[in-house]
Amino acid sequence: MPEARRNALERMVETFNMTSNLPEDLDIDSPPIQAMLATLDEPRRNNFLAMAKDPGVRKMSVVSNAAMAKYWDEVLNARDRGKKVAFIPFNCSPEIFHALDIVPVGVEVLNSFAMILEEGIHEYLDLAVERGLPETMCSAQRGAVGLLEAGLVDKPDFVVNGAAGGCDPNSKIFEYMAEKWDIPALYLDVPYSHDRRAIDYYTEEYREVVDALQELSGNKLDEDRLREVCELTNQCTEIIQEISDMKRLVPNPVPNWYNMNHLGQKLNLVGTPDALDFYKTALEVCTERMKEGAHVLPEERIRFMMMYTGIYFDPGLHYWFQEEIGVTYLMDLLIFHDFNPIVDTTNTDTMLAGLAEGMLNLPMTRQLKGSWDMPANWLEDLLYYVDTYKADCIAFTGHAACKQVWGVYRIVADEVKRQLGVPSLRLEGDGWDSRVTSLDVIKEQFTEFFETLD
Amino acid sequence: MGALQELAEVSKSLGNSHVDAWKRDGKKVVGFVCSYMPEEVLCALDILPYRITGRGVQDTSHADSYLTRVNCSFARSCLELGFTGEYDFLDGAIWNNGCDHIRRCYDNWKAKIPLPFMYMLPVPHKISTHARGRYREEVLEFIRAVEDHFGEKLDPKKLADAISTYNETRSLLRKLYDLRTAESPPFTGAEVLTILTAATVMPRTEYNRLLREVLAEVKSDSDNGSKQKVRLLVAGSLMDEADFISNVEDLGAIVVTDALCFGAKSFWNLTDESGDPLESLIDRYYEHPPCPRMTGEYPQRLAFLREQIERAGVKGVILQHIKFCDLHGTDNALLKNDLEDAGIPVMELERQYGPLADAGRIRTRVQAFLERIGG
Repeated sequence: MPEARRNALERMVETFNMTSNLPEDLDIDSPPIQAMLATLDEPRRNNFLAMAKDPGVRKMSVVSNAAMAKYWDEVLNARDRGKKVAFIPFNCSPEIFHALDIVPVGVEVLNSFAMILEEGIHEYLDLAVERGLPETMCSAQRGAVGLLEAGLVDKPDFVVNGAAGGCDPNSKIFEYMAEKWDIPALYLDVPYSHDRRAIDYYTEEYREVVDALQELSGNKLDEDRLREVCELTNQCTEIIQEISDMKRLVPNPVPNWYNMNHLGQKLNLVGTPDALDFYKTALEVCTERMKEGAHVLPEERIRFMMMYTGIYFDPGLHYWFQEEIGVTYLMDLLIFHDFNPIVDTTNTDTMLAGLAEGMLNLPMTRQLKGSWDMPANWLEDLLYYVDTYKADCIAFTGHAACKQVWGVYRIVADEVKRQLGVPSLRLEGDGWDSRVTSLDVIKEQFTEFFETLD
Repeated sequence: MGALQELAEVSKSLGNSHVDAWKRDGKKVVGFVCSYMPEEVLCALDILPYRITGRGVQDTSHADSYLTRVNCSFARSCLELGFTGEYDFLDGAIWNNGCDHIRRCYDNWKAKIPLPFMYMLPVPHKISTHARGRYREEVLEFIRAVEDHFGEKLDPKKLADAISTYNETRSLLRKLYDLRTAESPPFTGAEVLTILTAATVMPRTEYNRLLREVLAEVKSDSDNGSKQKVRLLVAGSLMDEADFISNVEDLGAIVVTDALCFGAKSFWNLTDESGDPLESLIDRYYEHPPCPRMTGEYPQRLAFLREQIERAGVKGVILQHIKFCDLHGTDNALLKNDLEDAGIPVMELERQYGPLADAGRIRTRVQAFLERIGG
């Protein structure tokens, strides 16, 4: 690895800044843009096309990218600005950190956005393994660990894991980081079930973590500030639901790329004015598309849903679905959001309870903490989402680290087929590592699968 | 047949004469998989706790179509034996959410080949006052479920007796491990593993009798040639394959202690017999030397390992994990760094479950390790 690489976050800020200035009248086919695209490797070219080709998608992406540039700049300069940084997983809501003036960094988000670095993340995935981590650990986080190993991101002030019990690699990697770099760590134990007793238990776990965060950061939780954050979150939740409701339409007017923008915003920025700006723009774009009858090109042939996580190493899949073969990517499980409650902002207690319940309903925590066929678990949710959003078919990426998903994929997929008649495709890929199964092979597998639907 | 031989016989295959006799008396046998399941509860209800493992499995082709290539071979082996009917003698099974693999083994077992009583006893993933309260609630609910299904109420006096019986096992095993600290240990590591395995598949009173006999037969001044061997500790993923240990010991080593979930970790702490039996039992299981599933407890696991290394005069450590076991695999990576920093030679080994799986590669690696540490 070259020794003189610049800090990864610095370079991410630059890229997001650049892509937050795309003009409304951008002509993708113009010679300067084509020349620029020719300089990019395929994943980055696909990324650009996926977010910039469609004017509506471009409009929402510009707002999302601007927010991301500002956010990563905040992470990069947190210490200079007297703020603490916490590494969190994707199933840990960011609101409490915003309320406590701590900068949350979703490890999977960092890992995913690091893919825009010119060198990609393969070498960081490998470096983490070279330094000891088993290769069977999740590539959604391994790249971030590799960046820490390489010294291209600073170690955080503390780590917080929100769902010990939902996924072994997810919680274990936080303990690994904590021990290896001597970082204070906080863990929330996730209950196996999802009843009132379980919610109360998790809420208490959450309160304990909030107390510990105050102690670690030296920042005191202010009720008015928490209310401000929760109200922003509630507004986002309402808009997210409005956009989700549009996805029920046939054809679906919500562009596939919204899902990717939404993930970035939801995982790190929800509870901030920037996230609200993004969701307002996204709603405006989707509403306009609905009025125009816009949909995937050339027409909506297939409505598709990922049973769990998606393919993130190359946005070409989204672009291909959206612009070329008429496949609506309704959502993957990380987008499942219909059961997230509105936070009661009466007082600190009600807000913490609402945030905790929201967190227990976050993707993966909700669906994979207990047995596959328990209430509020994977099968029940899949049946609901497939039916509600009228999916024609579903697929599992086969992400190698998801042992808990692999372990019940067959019985879940069989049951979805039995109850709803919806078929599934099992891939053998990795969401963040293109070397496991290339995008071309994945496209071939999808093509063959889609042909069986016709 | 000597007591040691009898214990070896019991641990050799899934069925054994003690289970047969128990069943003939019309009594129930219930399986379990994890060291967080308080066996004493079943014992007090006159139910034989029987540990489910994958011993004797030949291939896992049926299980592989449910638990797939990325699930650990131990969980797949257990499920395979379920599919092939080897565990049909069980009247039920109690599972813990010990790891992603075993909880999915439970899901498939329950969906496809349910026993008359299938129960998941969830265990929190951290040690704290609050989480201990949750574990307590879960244990109470588990007791109610067992009582309801088997139609027997848990008698506190019988529970106290069961605790005494299990504590006796633990004390006897401590004595056994004390003997292993000798310059010339009287037992090989493989023999000890068979003794440990037997504990989990037969009635405890009978087991204690046999173990007492085994200990009484030991001649403290015997020199069986083990003095010259390299003293090893084995830690990591679940292990009940005595042949695996034999394979290592054949190369000039002797395993003198371990940090395994059904090894030293399973008997190192006793249940307090002076307080309320149920509360003490809950404390004992919740606070026993923690599995890597318990987040934030790495320092405790490292301390336990170092204690074993020190007291048994260990010269080298084998940190093994079954492929796809992220919990032990990740812990092992940390342990390796910390132990080597402390000057203790370590070999990290990824393996498949099964006594002689990949035996050739493992022998080569162990041999190289022994040469490195001067064996």
